[in-house]
Amino acid sequence: MERRDFFKGAAAGAAGLVVNKVSPAEATPVPSRPRIKRPTEADEFGYAQARGGANAGAAASAGAARYGSDLMVDVLKKLGFEYAAINPGSAFQGLHESLLNYGGNTPEILTCLHEEAAVAMAHGYAKASGKPMVVMVHGTVGMLHASMALFQAWADRVPVFLIVGEHRNPTGIINAPHSAQDMGAIIRDFVKFDDEATTPERFVESAMLAYRLAMTPPMGPVALIVPAELQEVVLDRPVRIPELTIPSPPQGETAAVREAARLLVNAERPAIQISKIGRTPKAWDLMIELADTLQAPVQVGTNGSWQKFPSWHPLYGNGGRGYTPDVLLGLEVGEMSNQARTARESGRKTISISSELLFQHSNIHDYGHYADVDLAIAADAEATLPSLIEEIKRLVTPEKKTAMAARGARVAAAHKEGQIKAIEDGRYGWDASPVSVPRMLSELADQIKNDDWAIVSGHQFTGDWQRKLLNHDKPWRYNGDCGGFGIGYDAPASVGGALGHKKAGHLPIGIFGDGDLNFSPGVLWTAAHHKIPVLLVVHNNRAYHAEVMIVQRLMGERSRDVSKANVGTTITDPNINYAQMAKAYGMYSEGPIDNPKDLAGAFQRALAKVRAGEPALIDVVSQPR
Amino acid sequence: MRIHLAIVLLVLSSALAAAQVPAAPAAATGDAKHGRELFESSLRCYACHGYDGQTGSPRLVPMGRAQDAFVAYVRKPSGRGMPSFAATPERDLVDVYAYIRSIAPAAPAVDSLPLLKAIAERRAKAN
Repeated sequence: MERRDFFKGAAAGAAGLVVNKVSPAEATPVPSRPRIKRPTEADEFGYAQARGGANAGAAASAGAARYGSDLMVDVLKKLGFEYAAINPGSAFQGLHESLLNYGGNTPEILTCLHEEAAVAMAHGYAKASGKPMVVMVHGTVGMLHASMALFQAWADRVPVFLIVGEHRNPTGIINAPHSAQDMGAIIRDFVKFDDEATTPERFVESAMLAYRLAMTPPMGPVALIVPAELQEVVLDRPVRIPELTIPSPPQGETAAVREAARLLVNAERPAIQISKIGRTPKAWDLMIELADTLQAPVQVGTNGSWQKFPSWHPLYGNGGRGYTPDVLLGLEVGEMSNQARTARESGRKTISISSELLFQHSNIHDYGHYADVDLAIAADAEATLPSLIEEIKRLVTPEKKTAMAARGARVAAAHKEGQIKAIEDGRYGWDASPVSVPRMLSELADQIKNDDWAIVSGHQFTGDWQRKLLNHDKPWRYNGDCGGFGIGYDAPASVGGALGHKKAGHLPIGIFGDGDLNFSPGVLWTAAHHKIPVLLVVHNNRAYHAEVMIVQRLMGERSRDVSKANVGTTITDPNINYAQMAKAYGMYSEGPIDNPKDLAGAFQRALAKVRAGEPALIDVVSQPR
Repeated sequence: MRIHLAIVLLVLSSALAAAQVPAAPAAATGDAKHGRELFESSLRCYACHGYDGQTGSPRLVPMGRAQDAFVAYVRKPSGRGMPSFAATPERDLVDVYAYIRSIAPAAPAVDSLPLLKAIAERRAKAN
C-alpha cells in the first residue's frame, strides 16, 4: 500500500468514528484532490546534473569535460590510497562515477554492506598496512551508520580518511535528511579534523591537510564533507594539487629524555608499560633494544591496542611476583593515573612519554584521568626511543650492567615460570565440549606453525591465550583491539586487516565472538566478493558473556534471584549457525563444531582455501573464556 | 553493549579461594546430576569457570574446599568478583558441590597432549 493510500484509509476510518451514519445515497461526492508530483531521487539527480552545465552531458560524451569529482580522484591517487570502502549513496554519485570511469577504479572500490563495516575495515587495514583507507558514505544516514566505527578508530588513534557526500541544497523530500547545516558537527567529537569543501581548490587543500593531520601522532580519523554539486561541477580552470609532506613526529625534549634515562638507569626495578606504540615496524626493534638495554620487564596489559613486543621474549611480562617497579616508564599509555597515584604513595617514580599529551578532544572521556606522573614528556614515544636508548647506554657503567644482567635473569626466570604454568593450565577441559579456548588455539597453532601468520582481530575475549600459545615474534603478528571497548569491530577489522597484509603475503586470521559478528555480518560477503584471503574463527560462546557475569554478580550483591542472568545476555533459542551464515554470503565454511577432535581437519581444509586466496570461516562452539 | 573492564577483575579475582590442599576433602553428599543442571543452566557457574570448572581464578578442579566451607564461601564470597549466592537454597549449593567433585580432578599431562607438548617445545626453543 502506498503511504498516501494508507493515510486516506486511516482518515476514512477515523471519520467513521465521529460522523453520524450517512447512507451511501446521501453522501455528497467529494472531488478527489489533484495529485501533486513529488520530486523523486531520480529528479534530484537530474537537477544536480543540470547544474553541472548545460553542455555537461555532451561534453562528457565527447570526453572533453573534467568534473569536480575527477579532480577529487586525482587527489586520492596522489595521496596513494589503494582502496575506497563504500556503501553507495546519491550524495557521492559523482565521486563514485569518477572513480570507475575517470580513475580506472583506483583507489579500488570495496563494496560494503554497512558503513560501520566500511570504517572498521579501514581501521584494521590502517594498522596492518600503516596507511589509511578512504571510506565514502552518504550524507547524514551513511555517516551516522559509520559513526560507531569512527569512534573506535578515534579511540584507537588510527587514521581513517572519511568522505561524506552531502546534498547541500535539496529541493525534494528524499534528500532533505541527507543535508545538514553543519554535517561535521555530528562526528566532530571523534575525528581529528573535519572540513566542508566549498570549491575545488578547497577540496584539494583540505584533503592534503586532512591526510597530514591523520598521519601525525597522535593519529586519528579525519572527515571531508563534499557537496554533490561540487562533485558534479564542470571544471573551468586548472587546479594545482600540491605535494604531500608529512611532518616528522615530535621527539621528547633533550633534557627531559636525559632525566628519564637517569631515573631508569638508577632504578633497582624499572619496568616498561606500553600501549599504542608501534606506528611503524621500527618500534618493534626499538622496544626490544630498550628492554634488552635496561633488562627491564615490558608489560603489555590485557585490553590495550597495538602493543608491539614479542610475547615469548624473556622480558615480556610484569617481572614476576614481588617485582614492584621503583620506576615505571609508560610509552603511549593513555591512562596512567592509577600507576602514578600508587607510585607516589610509596615514593616510587612514574614517567610518561606519549603523544596523547599533545592533542585531545573534550567530550568523550577516552582521554582518561589526570595522571600526576613525575616526568611527562609530550612527544611521540616511537620517535623518542632512539635518543632515550642512546642516553641510557651512555649512563650504564660496567657495574650497573652487571646488576642489570642479574635483574634480567630474574625477570626471564619469572617469565618462563609463567609460560610453563600457562601451558599447564591449557590442559584443563582439553576434551571438553563446548571446546575450550586453549584447545581451539592450540589446534590453530599447530596448523599455522609453518606459516607467516598475522592475527588481525583483537584478543580481549580470548583472555591472554593467544599470546601464551602463539609466539608473537614479528611486528605483524597482532593487530590490536578496537580501542573504544565496543563490539562489532573485530569481524570487519579482520577483513580490512587481511587486505592490509595481502601484499606482504602474510596469512591473516581473525578470531572473534559471535556477538561481535552479528553487528556487521555483511562483511562476510565483502570478503567473499573481493576474494580477500582470511581465516575467520568464530569463538561462538552463544552469549555476551561479560554481561552474563556482571549482571549475575549484581543480582548476588543485591541478594536477589541469580537465575535470570541469561535474559538479555545470551544468544540461544534458537542457536545461530554461523557456518550457514557464511555460506549464505558465499564463503567457504565449516561448523558449528563442538567436538574438539573435529577442529584439526576443519582448520586444515579452511586454511587450504585461505592459502589459495579465498576467505573461509570456522564456527567453533566454545567455552565462555 | 559496553564492554566492562570490571570483567577482568571478575575473572581474575580470588572468587572461590579454593585452597589447593594436598588431601581431597570428604566425599560430597549432594545430587551431582541436579548440581550440573544448576551449574550450567540456572546458577551459571560456567560463565566464569567453564563447563568443566577449568577456567576462572581459581579453577574449580581439583576442588580443595570441603562441602561446608564451599557453601559458606559462595554465600559470602570475599572480593567483588564472585557473585554472592546468599539467596540460593543450601541444598542446591550442596548439589553444585557434588557436580564439581564429580568432574575428573586431574588434567592429562602436557606430554600426553601432542599439541600442547609441541607448543611447549616451540616455547623452549624461542629463547
